[in-house]
Amino acid sequence: MLMEVLQSAFNPIILLYMVVGVAAGICIGALPGLTATMGVALLLPLTFGMDATSGILMLLGIYVGAIYGGSISAVLLHTPGTPASAATAIDGYEFSKRGEAGRALGIATLGSYVGGIVSCICLWLISPQLAKLALKFSSAEFFLLALFGLCIISNISGKDMAKGLICGFLGILTATIGIDSVTSYVRFSNNVNLLSGVQYIAVMIGLFAMSQAFESIEDIFSKDEVNTKVTRLLPTKEDMKIILKTSSVTGLIGTFIGIVPGAGADIGSFVGYNAARGFSKHPELFGKGAPDAVAASEGGNNGVTGGALIPMLTLGVPGDAVAAIMIGALTIQGLTPGPMLFESNKVLVYTIFLGMFIANTIMVLLGFSCIRLFTKVLSVPKTILTPIIFALCVIGSFAMRNNLFDVGIMLFAGIVGYFLGKVKIPTSPAILGLILGPMAEKNFRTALLKSGGSPSVFFNTVICWFFIILIVVSLFGGRIKALIKKRKA
Amino acid sequence: MKGKKLLSTVLAVAMVGAMLTGCGSAGGSGSTAPSGDSGSASAGGADLSGESITCIVPYDAGGGTDTVMRALADSAKGSFKNVTVENRSGAGGATGMLAGATAKADGTTVTMITVELATLEAMGTNAGLTYSMFKPIMMVNSACSAITVKADDDRFGSLEDLIEYSKSNELQMGNSGNGAIWHLAAAGLAKTAGTEFKHVAYDGAAGAITDLLGGHIDAVAVSYAEVASYVESGDLKVLAVMSENRLESIPDVPTCKESGYDAVLGTWRGLGVPKDTPDEVVDALYAAFSSAAESDAFVEFMDNSNNVIEILDGAAFEERIKKDLEIYTGLVNDLGLKVQ
Repeated sequence: MLMEVLQSAFNPIILLYMVVGVAAGICIGALPGLTATMGVALLLPLTFGMDATSGILMLLGIYVGAIYGGSISAVLLHTPGTPASAATAIDGYEFSKRGEAGRALGIATLGSYVGGIVSCICLWLISPQLAKLALKFSSAEFFLLALFGLCIISNISGKDMAKGLICGFLGILTATIGIDSVTSYVRFSNNVNLLSGVQYIAVMIGLFAMSQAFESIEDIFSKDEVNTKVTRLLPTKEDMKIILKTSSVTGLIGTFIGIVPGAGADIGSFVGYNAARGFSKHPELFGKGAPDAVAASEGGNNGVTGGALIPMLTLGVPGDAVAAIMIGALTIQGLTPGPMLFESNKVLVYTIFLGMFIANTIMVLLGFSCIRLFTKVLSVPKTILTPIIFALCVIGSFAMRNNLFDVGIMLFAGIVGYFLGKVKIPTSPAILGLILGPMAEKNFRTALLKSGGSPSVFFNTVICWFFIILIVVSLFGGRIKALIKKRKA
Repeated sequence: MKGKKLLSTVLAVAMVGAMLTGCGSAGGSGSTAPSGDSGSASAGGADLSGESITCIVPYDAGGGTDTVMRALADSAKGSFKNVTVENRSGAGGATGMLAGATAKADGTTVTMITVELATLEAMGTNAGLTYSMFKPIMMVNSACSAITVKADDDRFGSLEDLIEYSKSNELQMGNSGNGAIWHLAAAGLAKTAGTEFKHVAYDGAAGAITDLLGGHIDAVAVSYAEVASYVESGDLKVLAVMSENRLESIPDVPTCKESGYDAVLGTWRGLGVPKDTPDEVVDALYAAFSSAAESDAFVEFMDNSNNVIEILDGAAFEERIKKDLEIYTGLVNDLGLKVQ
């Protein structure tokens, strides 16, 4: 069997498909508005004519590449290419401002690789054991997970917590617009374009990229001497140490988030960022361009890639939106993901495992060989770069649903983001609120609906308590630490 | 210095290029294909073989409706200059269907209309969308609701067991969304059986099925295609299907009708054009797409993805839509789901 697996994975044609997939994925990921989910969905019809192995491995390549690709524009332009890199933009762009874009990209590339490989190992060795975890999650657990995610706002708000909270709640509030999914009540707007809610990707492009572009108009003719020279490609020994330590831990966290159905790479990177800040000896450097922050966020989101495949391959349950499309791709090939797949198509399953390793390796090779090229973007004069960013923002927000209305949303968010920046309110809490607000609300209400209104449902299972403890630690951990220190002193 | 400037210009051009190609694929033109020589759409009178057809899918790329439309478009590409699939998702399908209904009535924009055309209007969340804005071309496929429980759930050996249980206990029935087709189908069954279910809404069928697999709810009422893999693996079992006749793939499972509950409910997908489209154009589209739907490639695709092909012509399809709207309006009123 080993020979068969090696043969099918190292088939030159399949390797070529994977290189093409990863390269396409990196481009898709780097362009704001084109997400990993979209890339996989749009290239899915191409795989109809391929055999199952080539088709799935190419889609995996796109997935892995796109999740990594988002970090490139996040670091260089403060524009997360996909929501999965929103946390990377916070610290990554600080590096670029300091003229260390190459260093940040190196950290992001290697961090993505480490996170991806950790999740591959989990996928390979313990997927049947981990898979059962996916079924333990129901509404109450999802609610507590979302609540835990929202607590991260307190850690990405920077110095002024109140400002972060204002922005976070603004995000949650915005997310309530549209049809309420529990009762179908139309909230705040009867405009057909808003019935399914405000598109958070359009808001994200506006808040991060458009606002940045507006700001750069202010001094568009000034020539700032940003040092774009990349002196070394591979991270230094110290950076390497940080990456290995941080990304492998956040890779594990990402894998866990990936297993949970409905929680994707965007949540994975934020949770990873938050955890790393908790472990860090210098949490005050987070938000100011800390290497462990970039490594954590990228390890976290690429950890999700392997994690999401675990319940997909073992149970037929999608771990995130991309895995859901891959289930479709397998079904079209006449294969049924789930426990039977391990019995009937062992070779394919192990080829997929090996394929994930290969895809990650292709990603890191392509990434490092292109870092110099990527950083050249920064030497493009602002008079050229800014209009291009404008165009990218418009196209990216339009492409989500082919809807011009979303371009309006993006522009509005861009203007709001510009003024938020002027009063030094961080914008990433708004994205977190937009992503997690609906998840928290819906699951809170569904859980209560199922329990007949009894709140005990939130304290019933071990997983619930696990999250409750995490929430308490994340909110009061710092205080408790300080208190203990004081006692000792 | 000069070299640097040149490089940055080249980079800028490359970025614009990447952006344009990115946009192209994002526009859903991934399935554009040049016309072949085989067949032309002139059978019904109008000649569409030189036209470029855009097919609007009112849901996201990668979903069930999208993949069916893309497979159908691929089979129909020989009849036109080319066929492009465009995703216009939002508002539970209303955004895309409204866009399709208000497109130019010359047959070049075809919309995949789904059962939501009836359910959204019944619910009152249709944003002005109504079935009479369309001239239906044909129905392509249909799927009935399958009442599904965990395979090892000894409480329910048959549909009767489940109905009886629900009369004296709270039975939690998962569906794909409040007011969505599977919610209404389950409610329709409860109504005919004189019982009540506790409906639990999820965002899409997948969430409901995962919760059923984990034992957090009692049953789901989604399509057979959506639970087929778990039935085959022995994790779930189907108690009954809400179709007229038994399904070919699960011949041992009775219909609700056989069990004495006259509930025939389910979803369908079909094609429609704006209502002012000339009849000869509609006939030509019917000729092209019905032969595409009968092609080997499409039939094989539908078999593999557990979809049931059910072709109805425009007139019969319109009757079906009208009848469904009546049923769903009644159900929504009974359940008090109507959104004011």
